[in-house]
Amino acid sequence: MGLYKDIKNLLLGMKITGKHLGRHAVTIQYPEEKWTMPERSRGIVVLLSDKETGELNCTGCLLCMRACPSAAIRIDAPRGEDKKRHVKKFDINFGICCFCGLCEEACNFCAIRMAPKYEFSTENKDDLTWDMHKLQEMGRDVDYVDTRKKKIPKPKPAIEEKPASETKPAEVKPDTPKQEENND
Amino acid sequence: MGKLRTEEFQVNMGPQHPSTHGVCRLLLTMDGEKVVDVVPHVGYLHRSIEKICENRTYAMCIPVLDRFEYVTAMSCNYVFALAAEKLAEMEVPERAEYLRVIMLELNRIASHLIFYGTTAMDVGALTPFLYGLRERELIVDLFEMTCGQRLTYNYIRVGGVSRDIPKEFVPKCREAVKIIGEKLSDYEGILNENPIWIARMKGIGLTDPQKAIAWGVSGPVLRAAGVKHDLRKDDPYSIYNKFDFDVAIRWNGDCYDRYLVRLDEIRQSLKIITQALDGLPEGDVRAKVKAKFKPPAGEVYVRIENSRGEMGVHLVSDGSTKPLRVKTRGGSFNQLQYLPEIVRGKGYLIADLVAIFATFDIILPEVDR
Repeated sequence: MGLYKDIKNLLLGMKITGKHLGRHAVTIQYPEEKWTMPERSRGIVVLLSDKETGELNCTGCLLCMRACPSAAIRIDAPRGEDKKRHVKKFDINFGICCFCGLCEEACNFCAIRMAPKYEFSTENKDDLTWDMHKLQEMGRDVDYVDTRKKKIPKPKPAIEEKPASETKPAEVKPDTPKQEENND
Repeated sequence: MGKLRTEEFQVNMGPQHPSTHGVCRLLLTMDGEKVVDVVPHVGYLHRSIEKICENRTYAMCIPVLDRFEYVTAMSCNYVFALAAEKLAEMEVPERAEYLRVIMLELNRIASHLIFYGTTAMDVGALTPFLYGLRERELIVDLFEMTCGQRLTYNYIRVGGVSRDIPKEFVPKCREAVKIIGEKLSDYEGILNENPIWIARMKGIGLTDPQKAIAWGVSGPVLRAAGVKHDLRKDDPYSIYNKFDFDVAIRWNGDCYDRYLVRLDEIRQSLKIITQALDGLPEGDVRAKVKAKFKPPAGEVYVRIENSRGEMGVHLVSDGSTKPLRVKTRGGSFNQLQYLPEIVRGKGYLIADLVAIFATFDIILPEVDR
């Protein structure tokens, strides 16, 4: 009797295996097949450029640098002769970045964004620090809704670090997923 | 022939051991194959999270606390946000509360699915691990769709949640709830009456309710010993009193019951999520918070029911933008303290100790902080 029971149990187990035989695999074959990350994924930090002029949106206001919990962002933006800030250096050290997305939320000028991209591993630790140009190139193909005020005030000296609520950009529908966050 | 002379000897289990779920060193005193005593050595994962938080603003603390207990990072986000809101006496929009409950419960299920998989793997079965992680993927995908990360979410913020859910979230969440509900019978079918599982689990690692309470044990470990203690019912926070659910409870206090309690909890969590999705109101998801959030000076302790027991934050504020002191409490620490008490002198084998450690569901980052 024991033998029959064993055979029965074996067949029962094989039945489950048979059920899964015709199914597609849950996993994907990575280097050949690539997985598309969801739109909101916080894969990598990029700098966005103006759609028309192709120049950086960044105004050097340092809000993202102050919002970063791990101090991964280093910005050098001295005031020029016209008393406006000019971004000279914008480095992000991805070795210490914690991908929390607070920089994206702090930014009021559509300048910094977490993009759904991956595959940035490197053999050299120094390569993890990306400079302004590399960040900009990475952000070229990132689509975004421009929520900046169309007219950037020229005669005024500069855009000071006002609280986010005061420099609130134009209202966007709350449903749009690409909504620029303007709180904090 | 003279009598063989035997003596006790000491073995290090860990720090790098697959069944210690992190970096924990258990110093075992062995008498042959029997475990006489066990001393847990912790601290290998100490990252000084509490001290780091003192040097960050309130908004920056939340991504740091994501790493406090990364299997249920939503709870860590939530408990800190709750403490800050209580200090500032802030009202949270109703939609945000519903979203928080949905996320917390989804995360509880994800955590219990990891428990289901890893415990079975520690005991020697590989299939449950694949089952558990396969269904966890559904939940993690939902999180990624909403907040952009799969493990460290930074989603629940002071005053609400960081952003609204995308449109396709609700149908996908309902689908995931349905799939997990169906697969639960598979989970039980593969283990509940499995003779090997029963032999390894039943009657092993008996906890005593009185002593467990004395050691500060909480969560599923305490409920498996017959103590009906669930902060969602006993000390309701958020909007848990609006939902109809039962507290999962078992009475024997052995490894098998701890496993059953967690499976029951998955079922109850699914129930809560379904109700929350049905009642999800429209509206804002975040209250107006000033750019420089400064709660008034004072101190507050809040606690919530995490998947590993009571999770709490003691927050002291001096009225500035940074907290003066953040003290965190996790359930795993007390359970790890209680471990020697139930192992000592019972004559368990190392294999039994692995089963006990696994069903306590200790996660070391929560112990070391």
